[in-house]
Amino acid sequence: MIAGLAGGIAARLGVSTVYVRAAFLALALAGGVGVLCYVVGWLITPDQRHYGSLIVAEEPPTTTQRIGLILAFVAVLIALDALGLWFGPVVWPTVLFLFGGALIWDRSSAEARERMARFARPSEGDQPRSRTQIFAGVTLMVVGVVVVLASIQSFQSLGPVAIAVLLTTAGFMLLFGPWVWGLFEDLSDERTARIRSEERAEMAAHLHDSVLQTLAMIQRTDDPQRMITLARAQERDLRVWLFEPARGPAGGSVREAIGDAAAKVEATFDTPIEVVVVGDCTLNDRFTPLVGAASEAMANAAKHSGARTISVYVECSNESVEAWITDQGSGFDPDTVSHDRRGIAESIIARMARSGGEATIISEPGEGTEVHLRTEIR
Amino acid sequence: MTTIYLVDDHELFLSGVRSELSERFEVVGWSTDVDTATDEIRKARPDVVLVDVHMPGGGGLAVVRNIHETNPDIRFLALSVSDAPEDVIAMIRAGSRGYVTKSIDPTSLADAIERVASGDAVFSPKLAGFVLDAFSDTEPVEFDPELDRLTPREREVLRQIARGYAYKQVATRLSISVKTVETHVSAVLRKLQLSNRHELARWATERRIV
Repeated sequence: MIAGLAGGIAARLGVSTVYVRAAFLALALAGGVGVLCYVVGWLITPDQRHYGSLIVAEEPPTTTQRIGLILAFVAVLIALDALGLWFGPVVWPTVLFLFGGALIWDRSSAEARERMARFARPSEGDQPRSRTQIFAGVTLMVVGVVVVLASIQSFQSLGPVAIAVLLTTAGFMLLFGPWVWGLFEDLSDERTARIRSEERAEMAAHLHDSVLQTLAMIQRTDDPQRMITLARAQERDLRVWLFEPARGPAGGSVREAIGDAAAKVEATFDTPIEVVVVGDCTLNDRFTPLVGAASEAMANAAKHSGARTISVYVECSNESVEAWITDQGSGFDPDTVSHDRRGIAESIIARMARSGGEATIISEPGEGTEVHLRTEIR
Repeated sequence: MTTIYLVDDHELFLSGVRSELSERFEVVGWSTDVDTATDEIRKARPDVVLVDVHMPGGGGLAVVRNIHETNPDIRFLALSVSDAPEDVIAMIRAGSRGYVTKSIDPTSLADAIERVASGDAVFSPKLAGFVLDAFSDTEPVEFDPELDRLTPREREVLRQIARGYAYKQVATRLSISVKTVETHVSAVLRKLQLSNRHELARWATERRIV
């Protein structure tokens, strides 16, 4: 900034100028070594204007090189300490402060830097508070520094130093707080925008895979029943995708299992199934047969009843899980069902009996059918 | 003839329903936005308003609330593609006397409108399920016994409706008159609208879909 030395060194090392400036400032505090270094450096460095640009910007250093630079700098500080050129305990926090500031500056966007620069130019102030803020901040910082100097001169120990550091930090927060806050806001704004665009992309992909495909299929079919099934299957799918939170652990719940079974039967037989579930419980070995039997009952109703829709009502209470599968179709006489129709006998009644539950089938020709399944929760 | 008014922001759906219902009802008007609907319904004073739940500008909920304040005699039947419990419960609590999904067939829709017009409540199987779920006795709570609990008979009627039976069938199955079924359902509707049973809201948000 004075002779362009820091910029030159920074270009040579491939790091940001602001770090080099911070290093010079820190060294200046350590017994004025920094000032000396700067003057010597200025004298022995060839002037760019005379020799052209001798300094070729290096590639940015690798992480290892960065760590090396930091360690070298710390070593210099420790060496100065050993030589007795140390300025007292104030240097360490100052070094941290300087490099922290440098880091924030270096990592912030051009827009954020502009915002920070505005704080240093209160005369332009479009924000009425900034002038007071800067005054308060500077005052606190000055007080901090004064207290530090006073404490060192009288060789007092850590107490006042801590206060000084605190005051300096408070001053810093007043000066740069809004700007630092702005940085975080920028960050979260950016994250929100990214999440939104990802969600939009996911939504578009999903709609393309599902809804558009289904619409295309509906346009290609002439069978109204098939159209209804396609539309319903798509509706169910979309509903789950939109509203249903991520499914629970593997195994799932009775509610989910019944819904899945209904969707499957609906897709196979082109018959809409209206599912209502009250309560819920975890699907375990005890209730799997009930879901299986319910699924079989739905399939039977869809295949044989001729009903326009099938109703499934499941109630999970503290005592039991019960399911009613109802259709208002043709019905049948349960006593006359031929024994080779294993659906009812084997898949429903025997299955429920084996699992310790019970199944009741009420049907009359012309009156529809109701299958009632019940398993107790032990 | 019962007069009806339709509110739905989907023109296509609107015209479909209009032609389906024009034989049995006198359609006195329709609109696609909340403000027009509010104005026109106040002027036309239909018997029943068929209102879509999801609309820009506050949705059907805004229409029901606006009108219910000034004209409590106008009855509402909510119509939606959603079965989200919070929508259903919100519409009922705002003053709607029934809730059906848009996939309902035209005859059932017409029956539902007649029922709402005569002051009864229309509970679809889903809505009956929601109520049974929300008023389940599994969680101990302090309650107003009058409003916060369903009687065993009301519970039984709702279970029959949830199982897909029409009111008439429910009446036959429980050996009661259709009027009694209607009375029970209306009582449940009243409880649903007035109960401040706190888990009603919590339940609705927990159960996003059934």
